Amino acid sequence: MSQKVFVGLSGGVDSSVSAALLVEQGYDVTGVYMKNWSRDLPGMKCPWAEDLADAKRVAVRLGIDLKVFDFESEYKHKVVDYMVAEYQAGRTPNPDVMCNQEIKFKLFYEVAREQGADFIATGHYAQAQGGQLLKAVDEDKDQTYFLYRVSKEALRYTLFPVGGLHKPEVRELARKFGLVTASKKESMGVCFVGNVGIREFLSEYVEPKLGDIVDEATGKVVGQHDGAIFYTIGQRHGLSVGGGLPYYVTRKDMSKNVVFITTNLNDGNLWVKELKLQDIFTRYDLAKTTGTYLARVRHRAPLVKASLVLQDTTLQERSLQAVVKFEDEQRAVASGQSVVFYDGEVCFGGGVVV
Amino acid sequence: MSEVIYLDHAAATPISERVLAAMQPYFAGQFFNPSSPYLPAVRVRQAYEAAKDEIAAAIGAKGSDLVMTAGATESINLAFSLFQGDSLERGSGKKRALVSAIEHPAVLAAARAYANCETFAVSKYGLVDLGDLESKIAPDVMLVSVALVSGELGTIQPISDIARLVEAERLRRLQGGEKLPIYLHCDASQGFGLLDVNVARLGVDMLTLNAAKIYGPKQVGLLWVKPGVRLRPVVTGGGQEMGLRSGTENVAGAVGFTAAVSEAKRSMKSEVKRLGKLKKTLKDKLSAIDDIEFLGSDRKQLVSFLPVVIPGIDAERLIFMLEQDGVLLSTGAACAANKGEKSHVLAAIGLDDTEAQGSLRISLGKLNDTENVAQAAELIVAAVQKERARLNE
Repeated sequence: MSQKVFVGLSGGVDSSVSAALLVEQGYDVTGVYMKNWSRDLPGMKCPWAEDLADAKRVAVRLGIDLKVFDFESEYKHKVVDYMVAEYQAGRTPNPDVMCNQEIKFKLFYEVAREQGADFIATGHYAQAQGGQLLKAVDEDKDQTYFLYRVSKEALRYTLFPVGGLHKPEVRELARKFGLVTASKKESMGVCFVGNVGIREFLSEYVEPKLGDIVDEATGKVVGQHDGAIFYTIGQRHGLSVGGGLPYYVTRKDMSKNVVFITTNLNDGNLWVKELKLQDIFTRYDLAKTTGTYLARVRHRAPLVKASLVLQDTTLQERSLQAVVKFEDEQRAVASGQSVVFYDGEVCFGGGVVV
Repeated sequence: MSEVIYLDHAAATPISERVLAAMQPYFAGQFFNPSSPYLPAVRVRQAYEAAKDEIAAAIGAKGSDLVMTAGATESINLAFSLFQGDSLERGSGKKRALVSAIEHPAVLAAARAYANCETFAVSKYGLVDLGDLESKIAPDVMLVSVALVSGELGTIQPISDIARLVEAERLRRLQGGEKLPIYLHCDASQGFGLLDVNVARLGVDMLTLNAAKIYGPKQVGLLWVKPGVRLRPVVTGGGQEMGLRSGTENVAGAVGFTAAVSEAKRSMKSEVKRLGKLKKTLKDKLSAIDDIEFLGSDRKQLVSFLPVVIPGIDAERLIFMLEQDGVLLSTGAACAANKGEKSHVLAAIGLDDTEAQGSLRISLGKLNDTENVAQAAELIVAAVQKERARLNE
């Protein structure tokens, strides 16, 4: 009896090729489309129906079953509500990290195992080995930043069939396998927010609220915004302040609904040497987690040398705090974003900026 | 795809060369605004009016009673604007619309948006239940709306029988001194071109037609409105189309519609005969599939329709298998299918979820001939066998 794999088919090229490779390798493969979000947003038709159709086309091509797992209510609860609450608290959440942690590598993993799967598989660019997460062979496509909170247990039963390949090879394989997704364009950003952007999404949940934009240099009000919630530290675009040099958001005062800006790229608020982290997640022993590693402050950001010091290792991970010190100054990272750590090729964990 | 076999004429039809040629002059050469004062524009207006007259003649109506629209959905919305009128005789309260349970989503949505919507039942063949309809014609019903031919099943409805029920209620209200009017709207988008459609013989008060279903241009439709029916414009502006549909007239569209109508009229008899033979061939060959079920009543079904259920099969998978073979068909109304929703039509005729999942709608037309229909049938049979073999593994 061949081993049973449930592969998440999103209707994109990476997951399609993953499924095709698994079939080729002799696994008993079942495709699963996770229906997490289906609502249209202003200015954006949710492509779920087309994605599901493409996932089904791939399943037909490969001669495998396609199941639909409806996770909409869980996704709303675990990912969307978290996202909105974080923004409301003035932070900048990372819904992709949350989706992987709660939906794809928890809920999907659990349901798949319940239904008799020996393994789950996804089209992520990453590698799993003995319950540890390793960077993808294609450094440029590596998605471990978004996967840093996946449990050891799930990783032990996870296959990443394209993790050892480069993107162009994946496209080539898609053509070779005759998959309809071969030329499909890359989806970007949070899946359901897509190209519309977070602002339009949030405007469904929060009322616009007029506030001042204050110049750090002069302390003067230079313009107005429609809600501090929509702005993120370091953000350059979307400020309706007239002409001249580009403005960057340096900080915001949520209680007063004020956004501070500067034209000075050297402004102290835009750079950090040290950050406090919370919600630490590590696949290493806590004792081993403190140390000097490479860190990444956003998806595809260059890896930088940094030391990680856990604060009180008697606490549970969720309440565990840590301090990260970068060797060189980094562009500011907004509260709510993640710093992810690498020990050579191993991505062992990270934490959320306080 | 080089050679496709198209079996989805109920979803869309290709514009014929003659229609295209008729429309051509009005895009660039005769581009004038029909409302402009100079002679070249007046000629365009005359061509437009003549086009309307010609379409009207085909349904036994007058051109001046046609409101040209951007397709059947808009026509339907305009028909339901009846509920927004400000006629004094209406009194207070939201009035009722009665529609069959298998109406197109455009009708159901308009009925829900404009009126108090109530549905009446259909038989397992998709034929309206006249008894149920009659029992539901209450004093607050203002509009009954039924499609001439169901878009998923191809069932031809007894519109003139329905008209008699509406007429009886009208008489009753007249005798009782009740002021609320009652009208009958028929969406004849499917069926027009293959059936006799005459507003007087059908006995309707409003009729929707769609050029896109009869080898004419998309986004071109019309609503015939019997004089005396008071509607409210859905699109306001410069007051074109008797104020019911403002916006510069789509002359090319109207001319294309006319050309399509005259072609359909000319070929109707022979086309009905031809399609009947093709349908028989197809049905005979598809009967090779174990357990296949043909939906609808053969006698009351439009000759171009062949809806089927193949138990145990996911029809969508079949469609994706067949598209690779170049055979294009669909599960039902395209609008419902691409939202991944279950068809309300199949539920209304009593199909359970598994049956509905195995349902395919084949609709024949000009792009079909004996050869490609036979070939398609073989490919469908083979695909079903392949899928069933996979499932039994």
